[in-house]
Amino acid sequence: MVLVVLRRLGVFATTVIVASVVTFLMLSILPGDAARIALGVQATEADVAAQATAMGLDRPAIVRYLDWFGHVLIGEFGTSTVSRQAIGPEITDALGITVILVLTSVVLALLFAIPFGILTAVRQRKPDGAILSGISQIGVAVPGFLAGMLLVTVFAVTLRWLPAGGWVDPGNDFGGFLEHLILPAIALGSVQGAVLSRYVRSSVLEVMREDFIRTARAKGLGAGRALFRHGLRNAAVPVMTVLGLQIATLLVGAVVIERVFSIPGLGSLLLDKVALRDLPAVQGIVLVLVVFVLLLNFLVDLAFTLIDPRLRSVS
Amino acid sequence: MTPSTPTLSVKDLRVGSPFNELLHGISFEIAAGERVGLIGESGSGKSLTATSVMGLLPETLMATGTINLNGIDADLLTASERRLNRLRGNTMAMVFQEPMTALNPLMRVGAQVAEIMMVHRTERGRRQARQRAVELLARVKLPNPAEAALAFPHQLSGGQRQRVMLAMALANDPQLLLCDEPTTALDVTVQAEVLKLIGDLVTDRGTALLLITHDIAVVAEVCQRVLVMYQGDIVEDGPVGRVLTAPQHPYTRKLIAASDLSSVDDRGRLHTMSMPVIATPPAAASSPRPSQADAAAAPILLPHRAAHQRLEQGGPPVIFNEVAGAGAIRVRGLSRQYRRRGGGLFAPAPIVHGLREVSFDVAEGQRFGIVGESGSGKSTLMRILCALDQPTSGAVDVLGQSIGGASERQLRDFRSQVQIVFQDPMGSLDPRMKVRDIVAEPLHHVGRAEAQARVEAQLAAVGLDADVMHRHPHQFSGGQRQRISIARALITRPRVLVADEAVSALDVSVRAQVLNLLADLVDEYQLTLVFVSHDLGVIRHLCDTVAVISDGRIVECGPTASVYDRPLHPYTRQLVSATPSMDELARRVIA
Repeated sequence: MVLVVLRRLGVFATTVIVASVVTFLMLSILPGDAARIALGVQATEADVAAQATAMGLDRPAIVRYLDWFGHVLIGEFGTSTVSRQAIGPEITDALGITVILVLTSVVLALLFAIPFGILTAVRQRKPDGAILSGISQIGVAVPGFLAGMLLVTVFAVTLRWLPAGGWVDPGNDFGGFLEHLILPAIALGSVQGAVLSRYVRSSVLEVMREDFIRTARAKGLGAGRALFRHGLRNAAVPVMTVLGLQIATLLVGAVVIERVFSIPGLGSLLLDKVALRDLPAVQGIVLVLVVFVLLLNFLVDLAFTLIDPRLRSVS
Repeated sequence: MTPSTPTLSVKDLRVGSPFNELLHGISFEIAAGERVGLIGESGSGKSLTATSVMGLLPETLMATGTINLNGIDADLLTASERRLNRLRGNTMAMVFQEPMTALNPLMRVGAQVAEIMMVHRTERGRRQARQRAVELLARVKLPNPAEAALAFPHQLSGGQRQRVMLAMALANDPQLLLCDEPTTALDVTVQAEVLKLIGDLVTDRGTALLLITHDIAVVAEVCQRVLVMYQGDIVEDGPVGRVLTAPQHPYTRKLIAASDLSSVDDRGRLHTMSMPVIATPPAAASSPRPSQADAAAAPILLPHRAAHQRLEQGGPPVIFNEVAGAGAIRVRGLSRQYRRRGGGLFAPAPIVHGLREVSFDVAEGQRFGIVGESGSGKSTLMRILCALDQPTSGAVDVLGQSIGGASERQLRDFRSQVQIVFQDPMGSLDPRMKVRDIVAEPLHHVGRAEAQARVEAQLAAVGLDADVMHRHPHQFSGGQRQRISIARALITRPRVLVADEAVSALDVSVRAQVLNLLADLVDEYQLTLVFVSHDLGVIRHLCDTVAVISDGRIVECGPTASVYDRPLHPYTRQLVSATPSMDELARRVIA
């Protein structure tokens, strides 16, 4: 077990290093010289050369990479070529906001998808099951930004119960934080919840046909008890794969909702920095996003190992 | 409950969907402590009978009639779900066929055994239940029961898992035990042990037993009385000895005749059951025979007779069935090792020995059987002979083509010379292809019209009408599909035919037909046959020579009759005694 975890950790660390190299190379290979981009098209050759030296661009690529990645490891992402300020704090702030938003929406999605998915599976042949299943089908088809705009129109503009956008730091005003969090989280989570409930449903349906559920029934467990005691853990395995992928997409995909609700999250920051051609910042944000996705994969793998004993033994 | 009250009484049980009745009003009783077998072919309604008794029929099926347990309980068919939950696992228990999937893969087996006692509160607490579970695992003779209780199902073998199922079913001392094909998925030697265990346990406890199986030998081993099912009806009911020796119903007679691989007609073919679904080829008159020129060119072979040899423990490697000159197959010092996936972080992956130092010959025209249990290496050997896998070391020549290191281009000719028939007639045919395309696929550089003609002739040779060409595999029964596989294998006019468990998935009556067909075709096309199977009976019928393979080594090889009658190796002796002939069975039952 420990060995399996160590090995997965090793794989995780290796992929992070590879990802950092790829990120670094991609942005170095892109046409345009970082120094010239920073100074603009009017700058003289001499200014550009001086800027390049200041940014350390005259050093060999390998040295630049090691310097950059070494600093990233201790949380320093370098200095913005636009604002001339350290990029690190900006990224961490934005990341914090996005992570809170995404996690809240995922929790909401799960709270909806698990009972709803199980219900539609168990009531599959009954009329109510079919109707509920149809509703979730519609949910899948609605894009997140549309759900967001509808929510804003109803709850912020018409009813005036909740703010239409913006962000409040939970340390300053927790009540305000919740008020600002709730609509975007629902907008983001509703679509995910609908998708997830489809997966929960098909996974539960599949597991209900398994021989070991029949064995449980033959032991004298009722249909519901057999499903809860033996089915759900087995059904969780495929659902978790989808969940991991969904969270990964959300980290980047949250940008649309962040824009709709004017939330200063990581996606918004990335778009801003790309528009400003702030290469060091873009490089840092991309790396953070990639590492987060990899971290999620690692955690999902680990969760698999915890749930499924067949994955625990090394051989 | 008076002693005369039957434990189970089924009256006029009908099961079906609104459109289709599957059980046509069957009635039977099982007395307390009686061991009854329920035998029939797939689709005859055996499993439906058991699931009706357990009240676990699929929602889409309706049952009428009455089922009484112990005479005191109200009709089980109309009983409430609550009442049924209290009876299931307590008064009546069931063991299912598939030991691989019948246990929850995420739960330790001890906990799964303990659960049945917790559900029915037959033990006071979790700890007592766990403790009892270990005792029960010991009762079903699992080695290291305390450790086994902590194992997950995937860490146990098939036989061990079936023992766990048995421990579970017997935990609350049920009055009725239902077993649905409990040993079908197990190796023969394991099957014999598990059957003996079931017999001993129910006899000790006086549990009534309903044992469902397609295999007469299983019934003969365990049961006192047998019910024979055919197309949703019970057609015969009587003591096992009487039914085996003097079957009354014509179906039973045919079933027993078809199961008996040692009894053949004057052409040396098995007795089959008339099955109106399949046209039997009219003496293969229309089938394409090898042309006269081919026959003239073929050298006249002296019949090769294998020496009967065994491998001695720690003795030198033996070349089995050695053929002077060029045989069809020549294998010398063949080893195949696999690296198991994984391994430690630093330690190398563990090596699994699939085959170790195997040497044998197969003469041209010989019918060579390879018998062994799962994991013995027989499938690895088959794959290498067909060049679907490469040897780790050693030399393998088939029809003069060396397999080791040969490229696919070099093997092109070989592929049409050596053809294979696989076990699973469901899985080995592409469901999206039409029969015509499946059978024609091995043909290369052949015009459309000629291909069409050859497919037609080949289908006729395996006893299928030409109009099946435009159908898809799912429209055929298992036996018909296996005929299609055989047609596909023979269309290239191969010289060597390799069959991997080719009849293992078929019902006995269909098995007899397919075996006869294979025997006919091998004669007709002068094939060299390599027949791989776990079933000694089938090999004995079809093959003149047999090699017994165990743990990656051939341990014994010789003329089939000689190996069967005078086994030299202890493993062969064990195998032979686990697969008795029909006469032997009748003798055992009566004695």
